[in-house]
Amino acid sequence: MRELIDDILSEATKRGADFADLRVTEGEGTSVAVEDGQADRIASSKISGAGLRVLVDGSWGFAPTNTVTRRELRRCLDDALAMARAASDHVTDPGMVAEMEPVEATVEAEAQIDPRDVSLADRVQRIFEIEQVARERDDRVVNCNASYRDGAGSLIVANTFGTFIEQEAIRCAVTLMTTAQSGNVRQFAHESEARPGGYEIIEGIDPDEWAGSVADRALALLDAVPAPAGKFDVIIDPRVCGLLVHEAFGHNAEADAVWAGESILAGKEGTQVCSELVTIADDPTIEGCNGSFRYDHEGVPARRHEIIQDGVLEGYLHSLETAARMGLEPNGCARAQNHQNEPIVRMSNTFIEAGDEALEEMMAETDGGLLLKGGYWGYVFTARGQFTCNVENAWTIENGEPAQHLRNASFAGLTLEMLSRVDMVGDEVSFDLGGMCGKGGQRMAVDAGGPYLRIRDVVVGGQQQTGRGE
Amino acid sequence: MSELLDLAQAAVEAAQAAGADCCDAYCSDSTEVSVEVENSSINYCATVRDQGLSVRAYRNGGQGFATVQQLSLESARECARRAVEMAKAAHPDPDFVRLPDPGEVEEVPELFDEELAGLDAGAFVQWCARGIEEAHAVADDAIVQGGAGVGWGDSALASSTGIAVARRGSSAGISFFVIVNRDGDVGTYFEQDMARRLADLEPEGIGEQAARDALDQLSSRPVPTARVPIILGPLATMTLVGSVIGAADADGVQRNRRWLAGREGEEIASRLLTVREEPLVPAGLRSSEYDGEGVPREPRRLIDAGVLTTYLHNSYTAHKADVEPTGHASRSGYSSSVGIGPSNLQVVPGEKTEAELISGVDEGIYAAYAGIAPNSVTGEVSTTIDFGFRIENGELTTPLSTTLIGSTGEELLGGIDGISSDYREEPGIILPSMRIASVQVASEG
Repeated sequence: MRELIDDILSEATKRGADFADLRVTEGEGTSVAVEDGQADRIASSKISGAGLRVLVDGSWGFAPTNTVTRRELRRCLDDALAMARAASDHVTDPGMVAEMEPVEATVEAEAQIDPRDVSLADRVQRIFEIEQVARERDDRVVNCNASYRDGAGSLIVANTFGTFIEQEAIRCAVTLMTTAQSGNVRQFAHESEARPGGYEIIEGIDPDEWAGSVADRALALLDAVPAPAGKFDVIIDPRVCGLLVHEAFGHNAEADAVWAGESILAGKEGTQVCSELVTIADDPTIEGCNGSFRYDHEGVPARRHEIIQDGVLEGYLHSLETAARMGLEPNGCARAQNHQNEPIVRMSNTFIEAGDEALEEMMAETDGGLLLKGGYWGYVFTARGQFTCNVENAWTIENGEPAQHLRNASFAGLTLEMLSRVDMVGDEVSFDLGGMCGKGGQRMAVDAGGPYLRIRDVVVGGQQQTGRGE
Repeated sequence: MSELLDLAQAAVEAAQAAGADCCDAYCSDSTEVSVEVENSSINYCATVRDQGLSVRAYRNGGQGFATVQQLSLESARECARRAVEMAKAAHPDPDFVRLPDPGEVEEVPELFDEELAGLDAGAFVQWCARGIEEAHAVADDAIVQGGAGVGWGDSALASSTGIAVARRGSSAGISFFVIVNRDGDVGTYFEQDMARRLADLEPEGIGEQAARDALDQLSSRPVPTARVPIILGPLATMTLVGSVIGAADADGVQRNRRWLAGREGEEIASRLLTVREEPLVPAGLRSSEYDGEGVPREPRRLIDAGVLTTYLHNSYTAHKADVEPTGHASRSGYSSSVGIGPSNLQVVPGEKTEAELISGVDEGIYAAYAGIAPNSVTGEVSTTIDFGFRIENGELTTPLSTTLIGSTGEELLGGIDGISSDYREEPGIILPSMRIASVQVASEG
């Protein structure tokens, strides 16, 4: 394989490519779906292929194949060169890549138990047991849907700088959604455990505690009332903090958005952009998080990135291209969903650093506000810096305690204004938002977290008009 | 295409030989050529060929599903054997009866356009270059993102019940997202066009329209937190109606995780709302003569004068409910199993124009684009009006900043008190605007 890859990259250079890289992947996976007491849908997948990218006179061309043979890779090279040249007359802002020292490395999968060594029957039984706990929790639980998936494979990243990295990876994940119903009210809760690692991740789950708590959360929401609409001081939990830092802020720190004129952070390096209580980092080297990796998909070693330090913008997340455009060193943030996609700038494990406030103190000083817990979904229009985050639960805060339980709440705002109104930062960080992030049509494993935060004057979209701003 | 069908049938035979009670196999061979625009420059061109096959096998009702990214006899047979191995490990499912039998399939014309599939990347590059020029003619400081692309391919489906169908399709799209930043006052918007035939695609004017709409979004302002009427523009209508029809999928309903469970045959919306499904429109974006299991599709009213006439069934849910399959099995490609989804949706237009609906609102909101999609389980929605305007004294005034709504599917659908006579039309799809009488809005105003 090495000889074949070297030959293709060498030919790319001979035929006029200023830069070329090739990613070759092979893998397999299994998934099990258990719903309403039946593990009646089991799937097996096999993936394979290669993606070849070339840069010719400032113009990028890309062509993948699912069949890794010399003939197919040469066809990819023909196509990628033709693609690059098709656009070259209209490139007004030429593409480029930062020079990098070649890296040669082999990375083994970090798994204690290879899921392929666990019988399919045992994997099915384990997920069945998890679903069973939630299903039998209460008569008002009307649906449980547990799914398991594992994947194991290899990825070779090679480029014309001489980089050749072969990475093995194993991932396991389990997700559970529980729906509860009382009269006409139907509510649900969702939880997942997903990260690089082996079957020990699944064995480490206590079904009673883990699945039981998901069912309890769905059941509790049946007694919650619709959230109010208006402006509130809010305390957000680490999961909502993760959602906020990833969606509202993190996408603005991706340097491809900065270069493209789509980021509110463009041109603000070294300036105060938010509350001095806020420090934000992205770190793919943290063990045990969903967005962790050793090398990115352009062959750059993973490292921690300081983005905001005490409210001051320190830097961005870069690919080889964005680093070159800004005259900086690449910092290992380009990843691709699979061989059929090109690497783009992605976050890994993004978080706000801990402050020094105890949650009890924050609650005591936020009477009349809302406590928001459990991030569901979020998105951002980076150019305007306008984001929306949807949460699972909210409570009114009375006398320093959660009081009325609320449901169906989102909050929204302008990212930097919102982060400037952070005036209390909790003293403990947790990562609790492992999931998949969508960008440019690609999905990528990421994680996010942080401490509890208090934010002043946040607009909450609920169904009852009782908040400030009436 | 016949080669793909031969391969699918070989996979079916292999699955049966391996012990499947019944099975089907789907394979596809597609090509997509695309051009990407970033920062007002053509940035990137790609040609992506994707080939693969999947097999769905059943043992005692338990389903095994396997995929492979190859198209060879050897890989098809190996994939079939894996699917059966998975099915043997699955629990029995007494609700599974059988896969559908072949039906009379009438070809929908013009789902494939040879002229479009024959275009080379140079044509898309020209479309994109022109879009950038158009945007800059409107605002010379416009930053243009987006791109254009064409896809085409063949697919085939075969089953142990005798279904053997194949089709060829094509599609093209162009879209631009324009940003105008005037000293930190940022206006953005997008425009797009999609078609299956080159003759239906209109690349001209997309960049210009996106830039004009982006300028209109400058100087956005909050509005008062209040209950007010909301008018959904065509794209916001699409999100609401699409999510409601999506929540009528029979599998989710039967498993008690859809807010529309128990509502079939009932009035779920204002009598003004009728939603037709038209799967057989020639060259329709989501047209197809048969669904993901080979069941013939047919036109029907999914919501008729506010009444939900039917859930959307595939063969499994139809047998479980003891009704005929409705032709709503969906496959998004070889790598995903069979789901449930609609084809072309058409909201039946009303009597007043959008302008007349707006003119009747003293104080309200116009949602040009917003993810107003009630959660499929709870039916509740709390989300932002991403792009919209305040309505004052019957006219659109300032664009919105940080404005959310909180509501439910029940309230939104029941509150529809006007549907426009004018509409946005994409091939096979009709999207008028609609007025909702009163919705809770939250903002900083």
